[in-house]
Amino acid sequence: MITIQYEPFDIGNLHKRLSQGGHATGAVVSFVGRVRDFNESPEVTALTLEHYPGMTERALESVVERARSRWQVNDVIIVHRIGYMTPGDDIVAVLVSTPHRHAAFEACAFIMDFLKTSAPFWKKEHTRSGDYWVSERESDLASLKRWEQQ
Amino acid sequence: MTLTHLNERGEASMVDVSDKQSSHREAVATGRIVMQPETLKLLAEGDMPKGDVLATARIAGIQAAKRTHELIPLCHALMLSKVAVDFELDTANHCVRVTAFCRLEGRTGVEMEALTAVSVACLTLYDMCKAVDRGMEIMDVRLDRKSGGQSGVWERKAPSAMDVNESVTAETAALNTLDNTNERPVEIRFFAELRERLGIEKLSVLPGHLSSPTLMGLKEWIRSQVEAPQVLDQPRLLCAVNHDMVQGDVTINPGDEVAFFPPVTGG
Repeated sequence: MITIQYEPFDIGNLHKRLSQGGHATGAVVSFVGRVRDFNESPEVTALTLEHYPGMTERALESVVERARSRWQVNDVIIVHRIGYMTPGDDIVAVLVSTPHRHAAFEACAFIMDFLKTSAPFWKKEHTRSGDYWVSERESDLASLKRWEQQ
Repeated sequence: MTLTHLNERGEASMVDVSDKQSSHREAVATGRIVMQPETLKLLAEGDMPKGDVLATARIAGIQAAKRTHELIPLCHALMLSKVAVDFELDTANHCVRVTAFCRLEGRTGVEMEALTAVSVACLTLYDMCKAVDRGMEIMDVRLDRKSGGQSGVWERKAPSAMDVNESVTAETAALNTLDNTNERPVEIRFFAELRERLGIEKLSVLPGHLSSPTLMGLKEWIRSQVEAPQVLDQPRLLCAVNHDMVQGDVTINPGDEVAFFPPVTGG
C-alpha cells in the first residue's frame, strides 16, 4: 500500500494493517523518518514537502517491485506525508513484513534508500533567517552503492 | 473625458456630490491569489497555522470596504447597504478567487469599495498563509461590473491581463487555432526550486512548434519562453517523460507530459 497524504499517520495502525489476515509473516521491520530541527541550517523551524502527483506513486511502486524481486516480501506499506511539517513530526513510514528477519531489515533499508534518491519529493526548510530548498546529499547517493554490489 | 478628482487647476479635490442624484449603485470586483497546490489544500482542509483563513479574509474584506474612505484620499465615506465577499477555491489553477459585491443607495459609486474589499481580502489570505508559502501572488484585481449613477452600467468585456503561465498557454492555444490541427500539445511541468526560479509551473506547446520532436528541441523552446533560461543549465536537472525518469535525449510525442525538476530530497 502506497499513500501520499497531508495528514499525520499513526504507526500503530499501519503496523496492525500490515499483512492483516495472513500468518506467513515472521518479521516486521518498520522505519519512520522525522523532521529534525537541524539540517542544512542549525535551526530548522519547519519544512514544506512537495511531490509530483502521479509520478511519485509510480516511482514508489517501482521501488517496491524491485524489493519484491530481491527478497521474499509478504507486504509493504509506504506512507509519505507532504505539506507543512514542524520538527518532531513524522514524515515517512516504511513497513515491510517477511517470513524471516534478514529480508525484512534489508528490504526496508533498500526501499528507503531508493525512496530518498528516486521518488520525486522535494523539501523546503524554513528557518528564522529564511527558507531554502534542501540539496541532495552525497551520502544518500552513496547508500545506493551497497545494493549494486550484491 | 476629465479626471473628476482634479479641479480646474489640476489639484486634488473631492467631488461635491450633493447635487448628484441618489441612485441604486452596485459594483462587483474580483481578484485572485495564486499559491502552491499544497497551500491551497491546507487552506481547504482548515489546517493553516493561523486557523480559519477564509472566514478571517471575508471579515477583513467587509471591514475594508467600510473603511475605503480612510485609505483612498478623495473617496467619500459611504453608507454601504450590502457588502459580500466570496471565495472560490480553484484547484486547477491553484488559486483562491475572490469576489466582492457592494451595494448602496447613494450619490457616488461603490467601485472603490469593491476593489478595496478584494485587495484586503487577498492581503489577508496572504497573511494567513504566508507561514507555509511566501511565494503567493496576488493578481488580476479588477472591477468586473458596476451599475447605477450617471454612467450607468459598465461591464468588463474580455478577460484582461493574464498571468505568465496562462499567457503562454493562451499563445499556444492561439497558434493551435491558426494551425487548425488536432495535434495534442506537450505539457511541461516544473517543480520545487526550479519552478520558483523560473516563476512558471506549467507550459504547453504543440509538437509542430519544436525545432525537433525531442527533449533537446523541447528545452530549446522552453529557453525561448522563459525570462531566466540559464536556470535550465544546472548540471543536475532531472527530467521525466510521462512519469518515468529519462536520461539524455529522447523522442517527445504529442500529448506527452514532460517534467523538469531538481534532485529529489524526500524521506
